Order: sequence, then C-alpha cells, then structure tokens
Amino acid sequence: MNILYLLIPLGLVLLAIAVWAFFWAVRTRQFDDLDSPAMQILLDDDRAPRKRRG
Amino acid sequence: MAADTRCFHCGSEVARDSHWQVRYEGGLQPCCCGGCQGAAELILGQGLGRYYEFRSGDARAPEQETADWSVFDRESSLRRYTLLEPDATRTVSLQLEGLHCAACGWLIENSLRQIPGVRVLTVQVSAERAELRFDPQRVSLSMLLRRLSDLGYRGRPLSFTGRDDEGATERRRALLRLAVAGFGMMQVMTFAASLYAGALEGMNAGLARLMQLVSMIVATPVVLFSAQPFFAAAWRSLRAGTLGMDVPVAASIGAAYLWSVWVTLIGHGTVYFDSAVMFTFFLLCGRYVEMSLRHRSGFQQHALARLLPESVLRMRDGRSERVTPDELAAGDEICILPGERVAADGTVDLGESEIDESLLTGESAPRRRVPGDTLTAGTLNMSHPLTVRVLRVGPDSTLAAVSRLLVQAQASRPRFADQADRVAAWFVGAVLLLAAGVAAYWLQQDAARAFPTVLAVLVVTCPCALSLATPAVLAAATSRLASAGLLVTRGRALERLAGADRIVLDKTGTLTRGRVRIERVHLLDPRCDAQRCLAIGAALERFSTHPIASAFASLDPAPGATGLEAEAGRGVGASIDGVRYRIGRYDYAAALCTSKLPRARDLPDTLQGMIVLSDTQGPMACFELSDPLREDVPDAVLALRARGLEPLIASGDRAGVVTHVAQRLGVVGARAALDAPAKLSWVRELQHAGHGVVMVGDGINDAPVMAGADVSIAIGSGTDLAKVSADLVLMGERLTPIVQAIDTARSARRIIRQNLLWAALYNATAVPLAAAGVLQPWMASIGMSLSSLLVVLNATRLLRRSGGRQSSHPPRARRIAEAATA
Repeated sequence: MNILYLLIPLGLVLLAIAVWAFFWAVRTRQFDDLDSPAMQILLDDDRAPRKRRG
Repeated sequence: MAADTRCFHCGSEVARDSHWQVRYEGGLQPCCCGGCQGAAELILGQGLGRYYEFRSGDARAPEQETADWSVFDRESSLRRYTLLEPDATRTVSLQLEGLHCAACGWLIENSLRQIPGVRVLTVQVSAERAELRFDPQRVSLSMLLRRLSDLGYRGRPLSFTGRDDEGATERRRALLRLAVAGFGMMQVMTFAASLYAGALEGMNAGLARLMQLVSMIVATPVVLFSAQPFFAAAWRSLRAGTLGMDVPVAASIGAAYLWSVWVTLIGHGTVYFDSAVMFTFFLLCGRYVEMSLRHRSGFQQHALARLLPESVLRMRDGRSERVTPDELAAGDEICILPGERVAADGTVDLGESEIDESLLTGESAPRRRVPGDTLTAGTLNMSHPLTVRVLRVGPDSTLAAVSRLLVQAQASRPRFADQADRVAAWFVGAVLLLAAGVAAYWLQQDAARAFPTVLAVLVVTCPCALSLATPAVLAAATSRLASAGLLVTRGRALERLAGADRIVLDKTGTLTRGRVRIERVHLLDPRCDAQRCLAIGAALERFSTHPIASAFASLDPAPGATGLEAEAGRGVGASIDGVRYRIGRYDYAAALCTSKLPRARDLPDTLQGMIVLSDTQGPMACFELSDPLREDVPDAVLALRARGLEPLIASGDRAGVVTHVAQRLGVVGARAALDAPAKLSWVRELQHAGHGVVMVGDGINDAPVMAGADVSIAIGSGTDLAKVSADLVLMGERLTPIVQAIDTARSARRIIRQNLLWAALYNATAVPLAAAGVLQPWMASIGMSLSSLLVVLNATRLLRRSGGRQSSHPPRARRIAEAATA
C-alpha cells in the first residue's frame, strides 16, 4: 500500500492541473457563448477558399 | 403569384403587385420591399447564401430610412466609443439588435469581414455583442454601422462605461466557484470513503493521516473561495438583524471545516471535510441554476437604452452640431426635430408639438407640449421642432429610473418563492434553537458525540431543497418555453397562467397576421380621386402605430401633414394644405363633418375590415382591407378550449368582421368596436366574475389592457418596449406556443407543489433522527444532497418532455445533418 504515499500527492497535482485548465478556459471566455460555435463549424463557407489575412 | 407568397428574406407576406425579387440558386425569389431585397442581394452577393439554409427563423426587415450614423465618425465619438490600439487601429464593442439565431452571428461576422480594414474579433449571439477592430484610415465606424443596418440588424457602439457586461462577469465567477467545489468534492469524497472504510476494516494510521491532510488541503480553497458567497450573505443578514437561509449554511460549513482542521492538527478524531465540501457544491449548483434564469430574462434592460436616438442636434453659441446623447450635459440646449426621439429629459424652451409618450405610459394619444412643459427621454416628437433645455442625463434620467424599476421587477420572485423564503426564516430560527438544545443535551449525556450530532442536525435541516424547489422549476419552465419561441419576462406570470380560465384575443395583429393590405378603394364622393385619397390616407397613417397603418406604408404620403390628433383604437386626423382630414373607424372619421350627416348605408357591404377617410365636407373614400388569419389560429383555439381556457375575441373592428371571424373559429364570446378602455373594462368584468384572464395582443395599442389582465402575452413583432410591458413575449408568428405555455405552467405548478411537499416530508423525518444522534454528518450530507437532487431532477422533468421538440423542425435538422456529413 506504500504506493499510495506517491499516488495521493500525484492525484493532488493532477487536480491542480485540472483546476488550472478550467480557470484558463473560463478566463479566456470559452464558456461565454455556447450556441454559436456549434453552428460555426457547419456554416463556415468552404466553397471559396478564403485568403488568410494577418 | 399565389396570394400567400412570403418574402424570401423576412417571411412577411408579399403584395401581389410587388416587383421586388432576388435570384437565389437559379430561381427568382419574391421580396416584400426594397429593404429586404437589398439585404438579400447584399448577403447573396457576398457569397453568404448559406445563411438562408441554416437560420432558424425569418430575418427582420431592414429599416427603410437609415439613421444618421455619421455622428460616430467625429474625433470625440471615436475617443468615447473606441479604443486606440498600438498599431493605430481601433476596437469597438457593439450592442446588436435583431439577432435571432446562431446563423445571424455567422452572417454578421462574415459580411463585416469582407470590408477591407475590418477584423471581427467576436460575435456573441447570446449576449448580442460584437467586438470589431477597424483601421480608421480605410474604413469609418459609420460605414460598419450602415452595413449592419443594411443587413437588417442594428449596432449601437458601447461607451466604455456601459461596456462591462456585469452578467458575464458574475457568470464566469460562479462557474469558477462551482468548478473548484466540484473538483474538490470528487477528491475529498474519495478520501472520505477510504477513511470510513478504513475506520471499519482497520487502516494504516500514517495513511489515514495523509488522507486527512490532503483532504484539508483540497477543502481549504473550497471553503475559502467557493463557499465565500454563503459567508458573505450570512454576515449581511446577521448585520441586518434577520435570520437568512445562509446563516445555518455558513454555520455548518464553517463549523465542519474548523472542527476538521482542529482534528487533523491534533491527530485524532473524525474529520468532516466531505460534509463541508459536498454541502458547498450542491448549494452552489442550485445557485447557478437560479442565476442562469435571472440572466436570461435580463435582456430587457437594454431595450430601454435603445429608445434613445443615435444622435441629437445640440445648439451651442448659435451653432448647431450633431452629438451623441451621451455627450449631453444638464443645461445644454438641444433641438428635437419632428419624427425624432427626445434624447434627454428636459423642459421645452421654444415651440409647440405633439409628443407620443405611449412607449413609456401606454397612453397612445399624443400629448401637446408647450414651452415650460417637461419632456421625457425616449418619447417621440411627432409634429414640430422643439428647442429643449436638458434637465437630467445619465443615471438621474427617467429612463434610467424606469430601467432600475424593471430590474426590480425581474428580481421579484413568484409568490411561492417568497413564501418559501418567509417560511425559511422561521425555519432557520427553529433549527438554530434546536441545534442549541441538542448540543446542550448531548454535552451532558455524551460530550464526544455532541459535535457530530449538532453538525448532522445543521446539515440535514438545510432548507435548500425548500428554497430550490421553486427556482429550479421556473428555470426549467422558462428554458423550455424559450425553446418553443416564447420568452418569459416575469416569473410570476407562469403561476397565474396555470390558473387562468379565460383568454382574450385581440383580432388585428393577433388572430390575423397584422399585415394589412388595401384590397379596394370605394369612392364615396364623386369630387375625389383614388390616388389623392390614398396619398392623404398614407400621410395620416404614418402617425399611427395601429397594424392597419402598415397597409399604407408602401404608398407615397401627401406632404405637409400638421396638427396631428390620434385616438386609441379609433383613428388619426391631421390637416393637409389647410384642410382637416380624419381616417379610421366610420363614426370617428364621419364625426369631422358637421354639415352633412354621415350615412352608414353609403358604405359597401363587406365582411372585410375597412376604414373611412373623411374631410369636413363628408366621407371621401372607404378603404377595404384584408388581413388573413394566422394559419394555426383554428388549431390553437381548439387546443385552448380543450385545456379549459375559453377563448374570447376583443376587437376594435366592426361587428360584421368580428362576428365573421368568431363564427369561423367557433368562438362564442366576441365583442366588436371596442377601444382600449372598453377592452380593459371587459377584462375587469371577467376578473370580477372570478376568472383568471390572459390577454393576447400586439402590446402597443392595447398596452393598458395588457397591464390590467392577469397574464399578458405580446406578439413579438411589436416594438422593444412593448415586449417589456408583457409577461410573456411570442417570438415567432404562430400562436400555438401559448398552448405549450399553459401546459408548461400547469406542469410547473404541479411540480413545485410536489417539491415543497417532498422538502417538508424529508425534514420532518430526518430532523428527529439527526437530533437522536442516529445520523452521522456524512449521512446527513448525503441525505440533504439527495433531497436537493431529487427536487432539481423533478424540475428537469419539464425539460425532458420538450425532447420531442427537435422533431418538429425536420427540415432544419436534416439540413444540418446533411451539412455535417458533407
């Protein structure tokens, strides 16, 4: 069972990463609009290749 | 061309002689007006025709007269509304109007992107916001706004003060709190399960201590960050001298956490981190659901700001200049031209004019304003230019006050929720007393068991199932109705809707499409010609908000109409070239001529609606109007009756027309020739007889009636503020969502009662067990959570039944599926 002394702190690290990732997602407004992105992949006009503009 | 041809762009009916059309996928599609044709050509010309495949509703017809956007190109406006970026481009945030589906966001984004020098940063459909970056050297802000207006949308630049979206910030923060509590709960529960198992089976003491330590590390941010709102609220309510629901919540979270930290540090005893964390998470879930509901109905606050004009003429040092209303200060002198909205509260200095205040007061007759009178921002100047001295601007203005009232109204919760809150306050007091009693008893009996027992009592009695019972159901009901095309603007309305048994329907614009056409012109006087009569009619009807006025919208009005008068539901009058004219109901129009008695038998015998134009010498012409019924009206009437709601028709139209419609629909109670006060007194009469009355109307001409009814439902084609004055707003063209609303309101009422009953039963059984020391705190936590979960799941039954909704749009679903596989 000694492996638990390693695994439990490791779990804590994973938890910290998960929380950090979620904070990043919320802060970068990934959750602000849940409706339009779903439509956008269907709508993006792929008939005329768009020139990439910087 | 078939009679019911629909406009390709906006879906409204196309006049038979319309010559507007666009070429789409090889065929010619009809349009109702030049504005729609222009918008459709613009969209198709940019290669964005896929918009028409994917949109989920008809577009709004673009406004014919474009506003003066150039005021936004001045240096001072650019400084106010845009942010200068390091590379000399500028960023602007726009509040958008007219969006109705995700395809609109796509259209705006792609259409603006094609203008050189513009970069679209984001378009958010749900928040109705867009953020753009543009190069002022290559493109002007007014050009962008005009492009939006050509597409049929309206963009209003947000100044920096109004830019911060409080709702979004609150939502993001709540999500973060919820996530921290959720992640924390998963971890702590794992350890808690191991610890409980370990306590039974025997566990390595070092390992147990490690688990306690890790639990503490995980629980700390949950209690300090996620549970912070509960502590803050409890502190606020204690300082205010009341016992809010948050007091026992904060007490149990705080006590469980501090006790567990103490146990962890001294190294022996049981920890209750799991109870504290689980409790926090489930409570936050409930709060999140409630907040989402609140934000969804918050859209109307913006509606009021939209009443202000884009620009206003400011007089300063004898010169006049166009400025935005934001730039006005108290004491400024402004000029309000006819047809313009008043930009700020003020007093009239010079001039006399008719002011239409209907959008603020519901009074549809314009008021005469003379020097010395006060004007309210957002009202409409109808006839003459006025010079106005600005009194109040910004947060002091009437509009801001009304907006604050609206926020309050939205915050008003249904009576059930209020009752639950009042009950909860007593409940909390009782719980705290009980906890103190239990503590005293157990300290004498068995001091070691005192703390866990008190904690179990505090947790198990948490009234959160009680307080979640109503908001969760309302959130589910609101969201279900929103997907059916019905916006609930006041939660209270659903409760009253469930108990209603009479539904009063307006005819024009409600039962009918409100797209009135002139079928025929009957001349009543040989001295007149039809063209002139139509022109005069158009000039007069320009000042009317009645749906009938739309029949004249496409005609060229005779110039120079002055001296406007209007009577709600009866007609309008004005002078042209010194001659007085009236148009409207026969008795109203004919009352103008004093010399010759009006003869009703002069009128053609028709079942269609009609209005009469008259001058001082007698009736001149009669316009025969047609206004077809909405397609689903017969079905809706049958369905309403099947649900015990007796449909009634209240119309301002002539008896013949109304009886005809009533007979076709099988409606027994129909009253004709009612003006707004008469409709209102009928509604009152019904209410006195003990009926719950639902009023369905366009929300403008019958605003006072709507306010008097128990529940008001507006057809969404009305103006923005009309939406605000109704409890529910129909977004589409069909009436059947009303039937759905009634079903949903009734299920909601049933589920709320079930929930309250459950919460009461649960507390009645769990409290004695907890006080007796049978329940451990973790059991109490699980019991409380399960109880809340049950309440929320019961509420979501409302949502699940709407699963069949998707199948009602097979064409759209199929198109999306095709696009996905393509």
